[in-house]
Amino acid sequence: MSRITIPIGPQHPALKEPLSLKLVAEGERIVESALRIGYAHRGLERIFQNRNYVQNVHVVERVCGICSHVHTTAYCQGVEALLGLEVPPRALYLRTLLCELERIHSHLLWLGVLAEHIGFTTIFMYAWRDREIVLDIMEELSGGRVAHAVNVIGGVRIDIDPEYAHSILARFDDLERQIEVFLGVILHERTFQVRTHGIGRLTAEQVRRYCVVGPVARASGIDVDMRRDAPYAAYDQLDFRVIVAHEGDVWARTMVRTMESVESLQMCRQLLHAMPEGPLAVRAPRRVPPGEVVSRCEAPRGELVYYIRSDGSDRPARVKVRTPTLPALAALSEQLQDINIADVPTVLAGVDLCIACADR
Amino acid sequence: MIDWLSALFSLLIFPGFAFLFLCALTFQWIDRLVVARLQGRVGPPWYQPLADFIKLLAKEDVLPIGAHELACAALPMVSLAAVLTAALYIPVGTHSAPSFEGDLIVVLFLLSIPSLAYFLAGWLSGSVFSVIGGNRSLLQYFSYEVPFLMALSGPAILSGSWSIAQITAQQSHAPWIALVQPLGFFLALTGLIGKLKRSPFDIPKAKSEIGAGPLTEFSGRKLALWQLSLHIKTAVGIFLLVNVFLGGASIGLPAPAVLVFGIKALLVLLVLSLVDVLYARLRIDQLVNLGWRVLAPLALVQVLVVILIGVG
Repeated sequence: MSRITIPIGPQHPALKEPLSLKLVAEGERIVESALRIGYAHRGLERIFQNRNYVQNVHVVERVCGICSHVHTTAYCQGVEALLGLEVPPRALYLRTLLCELERIHSHLLWLGVLAEHIGFTTIFMYAWRDREIVLDIMEELSGGRVAHAVNVIGGVRIDIDPEYAHSILARFDDLERQIEVFLGVILHERTFQVRTHGIGRLTAEQVRRYCVVGPVARASGIDVDMRRDAPYAAYDQLDFRVIVAHEGDVWARTMVRTMESVESLQMCRQLLHAMPEGPLAVRAPRRVPPGEVVSRCEAPRGELVYYIRSDGSDRPARVKVRTPTLPALAALSEQLQDINIADVPTVLAGVDLCIACADR
Repeated sequence: MIDWLSALFSLLIFPGFAFLFLCALTFQWIDRLVVARLQGRVGPPWYQPLADFIKLLAKEDVLPIGAHELACAALPMVSLAAVLTAALYIPVGTHSAPSFEGDLIVVLFLLSIPSLAYFLAGWLSGSVFSVIGGNRSLLQYFSYEVPFLMALSGPAILSGSWSIAQITAQQSHAPWIALVQPLGFFLALTGLIGKLKRSPFDIPKAKSEIGAGPLTEFSGRKLALWQLSLHIKTAVGIFLLVNVFLGGASIGLPAPAVLVFGIKALLVLLVLSLVDVLYARLRIDQLVNLGWRVLAPLALVQVLVVILIGVG
């Protein structure tokens, strides 16, 4: 059978962000794949070194277009550790609230993308419609749907009053009902299952070898979650389950992410009920004493690491970002081996790539 | 002179091109509106399909180097001509089509020409995506066509006639064949969805996988003709099912025939839209499995039942 080379990207309907994938197919089966990244490189790590710590908060926010808040959280808590600042508990709670809202928004967005890739337009439309509930809440809280600019070094810049907290809680009930609808589809819809079961399978062994993190790792039975393993912000005061599945395929990842969204809703409820009183931020000095720090957060896609080194000036000597998408990209070729062309978009969606994060 | 004029009228106006063109646009609009409303969207205004068609006509018409220019220009016309010819033999409402014994076979044959033209378009238009889409459309053709043909032969055997008008006429004083042969009706509907390449069988044009499939490289007037022929095919396919399975314009009550026929056609369209909303797209190997392991045996059972029992 003759071989054909199929170019996927840098621009392709299955890709929301630029990524180049050359696939060699025999008939409908993929026999080879070659990946090329770097199309969304913006030189951000160099830019960090030319801005002072306060300015950098806003640059960091723009590393990712989906999980912008968790990036600033990781960056700010790193700088706060260097400064030795004690962040007020109310600020930590608000940070955590935004982190979890962002996770719901990211997971619903992802569910929509997956559904569209397997030709399930209805779920795509529903998921993106219901995601608006979360986006509205975040916009009302911070003024921005995606770039919230909530974190400042030493705390947060937004506040929430009890009445508004009630209105959020009321909307959560609607959202939870909708997510249950999605869970029903994932569990019971045959066409959804035949398109996702056994596709893009990664074993626990492969996950360890490639250091894959986040929901993809949890769907392969690796029980890892920064929120529980190395609690930051207010996570040590929350009661939540880490969702783990064992199939390791796209279906399991769907399950994990959707269940995580429900879990995140519960966490948001706890945060709103137990919100402590107090100041929102402490004052941070402009200059940061020399030293280095590693700050870790659980982004919607997995463990996000910020390494920050200070030389005593008001600008960081080095900020290194390691995003969860990087190992996921490395593990892609394993998943693309010997599958049907029709399953390529499913696999690409399944790992939930964030190219802008990975390229920076 | 009068004969000549009425022939021209039936070719160009009713039930010829103008009528089918309007039906295609209306059905497309209703389909898009229903799907949009079910998905929580607003949906297009009534003139959107017409606007899309005119817009495409005005667009630049380009083909990549390596595409077969003559074939790419001819294939959409062949496809359109085939569905328009098929439409001539299908009675619409009170209009009695020129019928002869065996026109059901002719219509089914004419309706399969667009699928072959679609495959050739993919093969000859010079792009990787369209070649894959063309291959898939041929595989899909072999999966749905056999159950579809067998499902439609059930009513013919039952009526003892291979003429669509005869099959329809028999149902005016007998229960609709869809009620007698529900399995056959279900198979014919499934086959029709495959024929029209609608979700969940929109495999040859799966946009997240292979762009627009065989039509990836088409633009401008050629694409407009393609889309028109596919939408007219939708209308013709629905009319065919209404005639063969749902008794055409008869309902057993005194009601305007055109209205009855229109409502039945819209109901079939509604079923197609609902199916469109409800399922994820299958993979081509899954469709071939479904076609040969489930649909074809079921169709065989239906035909055997009709032959052995005589009533279905």
